[in-house]
Amino acid sequence: MTTDAIATPVFSKPVALRRISDRSGLNSAAGHLLMVLLSIFCLFPVYWMLVSSFRPANTMFETSLWPTQPSLDNYTRAIDAIPIARMLINTLVFSAVSTVLQLLTGILAAFAFARWKFPGDRLIYTGVALTWLVPFQVVMIPNYLLVAHMGLLDSVLALILPNIAAALAIMLLAQAMRGFPREVIEAARMDGANNWRILWEVLVPNLRGTIASLAILIFISTWNEYFWPLLLSRTAENSVIQIGIQMFMTAEGNQWGPLMAASTLASLPVLVIYVVLQRQVVQSFMKSGIR
Amino acid sequence: MTDLQISGVKKTYDGKPVLHGIDATIPDGHFVVIVGPSGCGKSTLLRMIAGLEDISAGTIAIGGTVMNDIEPADRGCAMVFQNYALYPHMTVRQNIAYPLRIAKLPKAEQDRRVLEAAKILNLTDYLDRRPAQLSGGQRQRVAMGRAIVREPDVFLFDEPLSNLDALLRVQMRIEIKRLHKRLNATSIFVTHDQVEAMTLADTLIVMNGGRVEQIGPPSDVYRKPASVFVAGFMGAPAMNLLPATVGQDGDVMLDLSGKHVAVAQSALPQGKRVIVGIRPENVVLSAKSGAGLPATVDLVEELGGSRVAYCNFANCEVAVVLPAGEDDIEGSTVWINLPTAALHLYDQLTGLRIETPAAPKLSSLTRDAKVVS
Repeated sequence: MTTDAIATPVFSKPVALRRISDRSGLNSAAGHLLMVLLSIFCLFPVYWMLVSSFRPANTMFETSLWPTQPSLDNYTRAIDAIPIARMLINTLVFSAVSTVLQLLTGILAAFAFARWKFPGDRLIYTGVALTWLVPFQVVMIPNYLLVAHMGLLDSVLALILPNIAAALAIMLLAQAMRGFPREVIEAARMDGANNWRILWEVLVPNLRGTIASLAILIFISTWNEYFWPLLLSRTAENSVIQIGIQMFMTAEGNQWGPLMAASTLASLPVLVIYVVLQRQVVQSFMKSGIR
Repeated sequence: MTDLQISGVKKTYDGKPVLHGIDATIPDGHFVVIVGPSGCGKSTLLRMIAGLEDISAGTIAIGGTVMNDIEPADRGCAMVFQNYALYPHMTVRQNIAYPLRIAKLPKAEQDRRVLEAAKILNLTDYLDRRPAQLSGGQRQRVAMGRAIVREPDVFLFDEPLSNLDALLRVQMRIEIKRLHKRLNATSIFVTHDQVEAMTLADTLIVMNGGRVEQIGPPSDVYRKPASVFVAGFMGAPAMNLLPATVGQDGDVMLDLSGKHVAVAQSALPQGKRVIVGIRPENVVLSAKSGAGLPATVDLVEELGGSRVAYCNFANCEVAVVLPAGEDDIEGSTVWINLPTAALHLYDQLTGLRIETPAAPKLSSLTRDAKVVS
């Protein structure tokens, strides 16, 4: 065998195939480049918030990508100006309790809608679905009057009450339960399981993906709630972090440094949840999307 | 005694009847197979026995107790579903033990029963796996294990083998038969596969269009199908069914494109329209000229141990089972002989079997076929 023969690949790619391969490589590179640009576009505001929180007041508006004289002054000022720890705890309680309660009521209601037939079930389900379309502004005043009559103004409990049940949770879970194999539920019935057991021992463990994605959705949306806490809050101690951030925006001007520091602190729990549960979050969203 | 009595059972969905009054008695320890085409109501009947469907009319009694209003778990039935219906989040051990856990049996008893079932079904090595980590056959065995541990009075099988490949299906069929012999519990097995039905059943219930067509041992159902439907449904290849008319002196004449060939004699009135049936394995095919009715071999299916020849005569197709052989007969002319003793007669109007008088005039009718123009 000659050297030339060895050098020539026996199964070289046909020219047409190589062109297709090159083209798909280019497409892939272009796609990746686009995704990198979009990622920068999405992440830049978060990065800018973080960087600005470390800039002293006199360098707040400089355009460099990182702080030239980094300091923790903004954090000190923010912590001194508002009870950030207390507000973060309030927000955490508000978000966590709302999430748990919405999931609980959602699971129970969804099971009834998905598995039981009762007079008016479709009508009631339609009614629940319609409440999803009603904007918050419509129910804001009645809700406010209700909690005011109950003497719950300026309390975390009042923040939680209207968030105990949500149409989105019921609808999403009912859909997931309807899609669950009927035979498995029937097998559980044959095995002697009652509805309670079927729900908690068969359905819920198998809907973890949907429940996890829903929990994240509820938690983040409750964490970012601004208007309802703004209506109810009277004191900083009973308020949530979003209201605290707003306190740095005054008629005299915005205090950008402490505002960015408080915003960073407010974003941290959500970021931590996302970073820790990144894989589960993506998987659960993909799974629930496929369903 | 856990005999099962089905009396006048009807099922309607939104006023539309699905089962038209089913009556059957299943003795204790029998293996009964309900067979029929898709949509005939066999699974609905099984689900009504299980308690998963309401009974619109009639009663179902197990061991003398009417079960109409009793919860599925309290009927003493265990069911094996078509797609296994295992709990995906539980291990094999947890799946099998689940009914025992609900029944609050002591842990030691649960473990004993699970291990015993696992040994019977060769599942001991897989007890800590989840269903997703098992093959189809293993999953089916787990489903059976979950049924066994309950020690039920009645086993219900809803097409449990239809999701398995052909080889596994045969293996599982044998396993189910062995299991039944070992446990000797009353079993009801629903299938549309006639081979499963014939091989497994002590008693066959053939259903069609929400009605029972025939009940009896498989050999009886095969040898004496009670209706044209049963005759055509049971057996592969299916029974040959040929239109005929009763002529003078009760002669049964095949209607062959204007010609009439007498194939049997009956006591039926002249002019009555009937259907003549004959199993493919009973048709005698000869290459000898004049030995029966002339036909052309359209197609030959090779089955290894035997062959099926599809012959055409006078626009009628007749399937003939032949022994294995190398000779190429496709396209050739052959002579078909329909032995009288193997013929079945059915009323064309009702589709019901007509019992012919015991002594036909002609011993091998087509050999001396009387052709009347």
